[in-house]
Amino acid sequence: MAKLSSDQERLAISRLFHRYGFGPKPGEFERAIKAGYEVTKESFFAKPTAEQLTSDLAPITIDDLGPRPTPGTFANTEYQIKQRAQIKEMTLWWLDQMVTTDYSLNEKMTWFWHGHWATSIEKLNYALPMYKQNLTFRNNALGNFSTLSKAMYDDGALQYWLDGQENTAKAPNENLSREFMELFTLGVGRYTEEDVKALARVFTGIQVQRTNGVVAFNPRRHDNSAVTFLGTTQVFSEDQAIDLLVARDESSRFIYERLWYRHMSSTEEFPASYRRDAFASRDIHSAVKDLASSPYMYSPQLAMVKSPIEWFVALCRVLNITPSTAKNSSAILGSLQKLSQVPFAPPNVGGWPAGELWLTSASAQFRLTLSQALLKNANLADLKKVALNQRVKYLQDLLGVYQWSKRTSDALTIARNEPERLFLLAINSPEYVVGA
Amino acid sequence: MDTLSRRKFLALSGGAGVAAAANILSVTDIAEAAITRPLPSGTPILVVVTLYGGNDGLNTVVPYSDSLYYSLRPDISYAPDKVLPLDSSLGLNPAMGAIKNLWDKKKVAIIRGVGYPNSDHSHFASMAIWQSAERTQTTKSGWLGRWVDSQPEDPLLAINLGSILPPLLVGKKRSGSVLPLGGLITPVGSLARDCSRLSLPAQGENPLAARAATSLRNLLNISESVSPILKALAPAATDLPTVNGGNAGGDNNLSQQLDVVAKLVTAGAPTRVWAVSLGGFDTHANEANAQSELIGIVSNSVARFLNQLEPSGRSKDVTVLIYSEFGRRVAANASAGTDHGTSGPVFVIGDRVQGGFFGEQPSLNNLYKGDLAVTTDFRDIYATLLEDVLKTPAGQILNGWKGRITSLLRKQ
Repeated sequence: MAKLSSDQERLAISRLFHRYGFGPKPGEFERAIKAGYEVTKESFFAKPTAEQLTSDLAPITIDDLGPRPTPGTFANTEYQIKQRAQIKEMTLWWLDQMVTTDYSLNEKMTWFWHGHWATSIEKLNYALPMYKQNLTFRNNALGNFSTLSKAMYDDGALQYWLDGQENTAKAPNENLSREFMELFTLGVGRYTEEDVKALARVFTGIQVQRTNGVVAFNPRRHDNSAVTFLGTTQVFSEDQAIDLLVARDESSRFIYERLWYRHMSSTEEFPASYRRDAFASRDIHSAVKDLASSPYMYSPQLAMVKSPIEWFVALCRVLNITPSTAKNSSAILGSLQKLSQVPFAPPNVGGWPAGELWLTSASAQFRLTLSQALLKNANLADLKKVALNQRVKYLQDLLGVYQWSKRTSDALTIARNEPERLFLLAINSPEYVVGA
Repeated sequence: MDTLSRRKFLALSGGAGVAAAANILSVTDIAEAAITRPLPSGTPILVVVTLYGGNDGLNTVVPYSDSLYYSLRPDISYAPDKVLPLDSSLGLNPAMGAIKNLWDKKKVAIIRGVGYPNSDHSHFASMAIWQSAERTQTTKSGWLGRWVDSQPEDPLLAINLGSILPPLLVGKKRSGSVLPLGGLITPVGSLARDCSRLSLPAQGENPLAARAATSLRNLLNISESVSPILKALAPAATDLPTVNGGNAGGDNNLSQQLDVVAKLVTAGAPTRVWAVSLGGFDTHANEANAQSELIGIVSNSVARFLNQLEPSGRSKDVTVLIYSEFGRRVAANASAGTDHGTSGPVFVIGDRVQGGFFGEQPSLNNLYKGDLAVTTDFRDIYATLLEDVLKTPAGQILNGWKGRITSLLRKQ
């Protein structure tokens, strides 16, 4: 990367923290500014070992609830209570993980893949399969895309979500087959309807145990005939079909487009001229790092709205709040629901929206409400120690904001002798809600 | 939320677990629409009150001149001088004074003996039948959800108060929306002034940040222009019943829900169906106080709701339906309560309603396995409300159902 101006460095570092991670922890942003973008990026992209990732992970046990009791019985009511409790516990567990992790990039990519292979607990209704899926994302977040795609085919939650268990030789169901190409590997319009039908036949024969996500292959429900898929006629195994999909140039383009959409801009198109050599072997780490090394990191045009989870987690990191132990964790989850973004519950298989959709008056109102709830858990002692005339600048660095506008700086200055009020305004300012 | 992709989701999930896929609205969304595209005055509005748990019909509309009533329910019956008489044989529960007043003004229709053939005694199965208006439990859409399907797409058309969409409003193609309660905290005082400073245009700002500033500004504008109508929601806790009602679903703050509906209807929300609910009617034990308290809440809340609508003139447009998934067993059980029964009375209330009794009162002499007979099919009421209130042909929505309640609504 060329020698950057200090403004460009600051912009790139702000984007690195907020888009490729979940925002800086206290002091991190200032240290990064001193170290410079290149050094910060290299340490950000240092690959954690499997052991490091495991020891970073908060412990949680989710039991298989087993068969459901007869509807209407007391036992069934108890069962439903357990179901809901597991989902809540798991949701808070992931939020905690996003807040506390030392491997922000891996966590952010876990979140990215959750939005990519978007599966919702609202259909699954059982935490265990969703938890297993989360571990798959986590373990492959920066690994090989072909490996991830095959692991996702074997994922009980995804199979159930897209009716894989309904897809049989006798009655093929195209749901998984279509989305596998449209939303997961190639992108819309980069395959034919015949390909959808052919892949559905290749994918037949899967059965899922809904309570635990265990997937089994039933040869009697499988269609073992030759199909013509992406121009090749043969009997395909599902691995062969996935290899074929992932190897295509459209797949490289598509994954770059999705990475761009979530990390660089949801309004500007992925530049057609972008060289995609870094993804030649389908190594995700290499592609993401390539994007973070591009001049787009400091291109002034590419503002991005923080999604509610990004906004919320970044705040918890800065305020040192662990969601599961917050005084009002249920109210916090309720606010996230009102903001329409709760982990494990994307609105549909296309994942969460981006950009302007998070900028309604209603979300502005819910962000204010959630800020107030969060600040009840916060200890602003450090902010209180800062001299009055330094506080606005201090918050800019603490929060990892590129630059306050004069408008915001003026509004904050008026509130600077009331730390809570000052903080509330800073985190609801346009410059914080939307990253430059 | 993006309704197009939501529809795709509904298609994908086949209606299972659609609850969280509903549009989640805020009061602000509705208030914004109330200003920009208000419901034309005179457009009929249906408010559906669901009583979860199985309301005891015999202690709601009491057959006070029938000696069998007293002999079958020695401990949980109301003496003739306690009930509020409607005619020489039936009287309202003593807690229902507010609805009695509306009855006297000829605004209350009581349809007696309402249910369906071969009653299912499971809360969940029976509620599914009532909400889907289908006898088979395979149907995954609700009767008003299918009405939503029949209308031009509009996320504000049918709204449930509370955060979970009841099956009632789940359609085959689209669904109603939900409005979680307690979300109305518009900035006031110094916070409003702070937000207004933050929302000023800033020079050279990127379009998204400018949009964020605008959303804050709109929030303030909305709270200014509609706050006289929307402010001061009733506190939630005042009418929380502390009774042995069991828990078979439903919310516990009916009067707060109806307060919000009244304010949004008054403001001109373009919503034609509202769904509210009260739970706790599963009175298997120590029933008398519990049921009376709950039905009193229903009575007072509905009357207050209609009263709140009067200044705006919208009370003329509103029809309220009150139902539960079943009545209760005629004979009391050993714990001074009643078990799950069959038919019960349904209330339809409003200025457009032809007050009086409809349907036959099931006889206490002619029980089937200890339960009341069904004399009116609930789908007759739905069909009548669809056609005479919502002005929509009922045939397609109710699978060609032919029965109607004649003269339930006044001729307009």
